Amino acid sequence: MRKSGSRLAWTIWFTLCLSLLVVPAANAYIDPGSGSLIFQVVVGAAMAMSLGVKVFWRRITGFFSRRSR
Amino acid sequence: MVDGRVAGSFRDPAGFVFTREGVLYRQVNPRFAEHYDHLMSSGLYQALTDAGLLVRHEEVDVAAHADDAHRVLRPAIVEFISFPYEWCPGQLRDAALATLQAQQLALNHGMSLRDASAFNVQFVASRPVLIDTLSFEILPQGQPWVAYRQFCQHFLAPLALASSVDARLLRLLGVHLDGVPLDLAAALLPGRSRLQPGLAVHLHAHARSQRRHADDAGRAGAGKGDNKVGTKDAPRFSEQAFRGLIDSLTTAVRKQAWEPGESAWRDYYAAKESYSDEAMASKEELVAKFVGELQPRSVWDLGANTGRFSWLAARAGASVVALEMDPSAVEVSWRQVVAGEAPAVLPLVMDLANPSPGLGWGSAERPSLSQRGPADLALALALIHHLAIANNVPLTHVAAWLATLCQWLVLEWVPKDDPMVRRLLASRQDVFDDYCEQGLQDALSGWFDVVQREPVHGSQRTLYLLRRR
Repeated sequence: MRKSGSRLAWTIWFTLCLSLLVVPAANAYIDPGSGSLIFQVVVGAAMAMSLGVKVFWRRITGFFSRRSR
Repeated sequence: MVDGRVAGSFRDPAGFVFTREGVLYRQVNPRFAEHYDHLMSSGLYQALTDAGLLVRHEEVDVAAHADDAHRVLRPAIVEFISFPYEWCPGQLRDAALATLQAQQLALNHGMSLRDASAFNVQFVASRPVLIDTLSFEILPQGQPWVAYRQFCQHFLAPLALASSVDARLLRLLGVHLDGVPLDLAAALLPGRSRLQPGLAVHLHAHARSQRRHADDAGRAGAGKGDNKVGTKDAPRFSEQAFRGLIDSLTTAVRKQAWEPGESAWRDYYAAKESYSDEAMASKEELVAKFVGELQPRSVWDLGANTGRFSWLAARAGASVVALEMDPSAVEVSWRQVVAGEAPAVLPLVMDLANPSPGLGWGSAERPSLSQRGPADLALALALIHHLAIANNVPLTHVAAWLATLCQWLVLEWVPKDDPMVRRLLASRQDVFDDYCEQGLQDALSGWFDVVQREPVHGSQRTLYLLRRR
C-alpha cells in the first residue's frame, strides 16, 4: 500500500514536471529555468493560501481597530 | 555619447535603446506592439509613473533606428547610471521592493514583469525607478512568474548574503551579472538562514529544485513543444498563487535588513582626528567657494565618506555622485538621503584603487566608471594619501587617472606630517620619497592647470582648484 502510494506520488510529480518543461511565455526572452517554474507551481497553492489567511487576518484586525476607535 | 545602439541593449527582441544627436530613444519593435499598447491603455503606465516606479517617456515622431518600429519613445534622462554591484544593501533592498511593487501594480492591470533584473532599476532623486518600459507584458494566464529565478538571483540572494554574512558580498553581482546563482548563495549562507521561512523557500528549496531539474529543459526540447504551463493539460498557476508569491517575496526582502557596523570611516569626522573645527570650517568654505564659482552640473565626490562635501555641492544645484569604498558609510549616507535629512546625492560603493571596469559582453555592456563621465567637477578631498601611500599608486598615475574623470578638480593635498599620513606610515616603511607637494605639482602639470591654491587654515593641508588641459 505504502509502495503504491509512493509510486502514485512519483507519477504525479513526474507528470507535473513534464508539463512544465518548456519556456512558458511567448514574450519571454530570459531563461525562466525549469527548476524555478516547477518550484513555483509546487509552492503556489501554499503561497495562495498564505496570502488568503493574511488578507483575512488583516480584515479581522481592521474591523476591530475600526470598532475600537 | 556616441550615436547608435546602446551597448547594453541587445538581449530583448521587444525593442532597444539608441542615441541620435546625443538624445536617448527607445524603439518598440512591432512584435511587442500589443503589450506596449496595453501598458499605455490599461492605466498601468499612469499608475506606475504616478507612483514614481517607472521612468516617464513621451512618444516621438522620429525615424526608427533599425527596421520597422511600432513606436519610438524618448524617456526622461537618468543623470547617472549606477549598477547593482555599486550599491549598498539598503539601495538593493529599495530596488527589490520597487520591483515587487511594480509587479503588484502590473497584476492589478492584467500585466506582469517579464524580467526582474536589478540593472533595470536606477536611482532618480533617491528613489528607485524602473527604466525598462518594455518589461511589462500582458499577464500570461495560468503561468508562473517567468522572472522568479531572476528576481531571486538579482535581489533576494545578494540581500540575504549581505544581511546574514557580509555586506561586501554584494560585489558578487559584478562577477555574476545575471545575479548570484542560488546554489552559491545557499552554500555561503549560514545554517540558521534556513530558519527564515522566506529564505528557506525562495533560496534553499528553490536552489534544490533548480539542481534537481537542471537537465529537464534539454530533455523537453526534444518533443513536447506546446506543452506549456497554462495550457489545458497542464496545472494552472492561479493569479492568487501569483499574488501570494509576490507577497511572500516582499516579506522575505523586507526581512533582509542590514545594519552598518562600527567602521573606522563612519566616525571619521566625529573623531576629528584629522581636522580641527577651524580646519573643517576653512575646508568647507573653500569647497563652497569653488563650487559656487564653477556652478557644475555634475559632481563626483571621490572618497566621499558619509557625504558631507557631496551635500555641499548638491545644495549648490549639482547632480552629485558620492563614491566611497566602505559600504557602512554608503549605507549611512543613503539612509540620510532617503529620510530627507540630506540632499539627494547618489552614494555608491566604489574602491577607487579598483574602480568599476567595463563588464558584460565585449566588456561594454556595463560601462566603466570613467566611461560614465567625465563629470564637470570631481572632489578629491582627503583622498590622495589613500591612493599614493595606502595603495602605492605613484602620484603621476593618480594625476593621469583623475584627468580621465573630470573637467575641473578640487584636490586636497595631505602632507607627510599630517596625522592621517603618519598613521598610514606607522606600520610600514616609508618608500614614498616622491610624496611631497612639489611631486604632486609635477605630476599634475602633465594634465591640469592650477587655477587656485589655498591653504586649509588650522591644518597643514592645501586645496587646489585645477582645470583639465
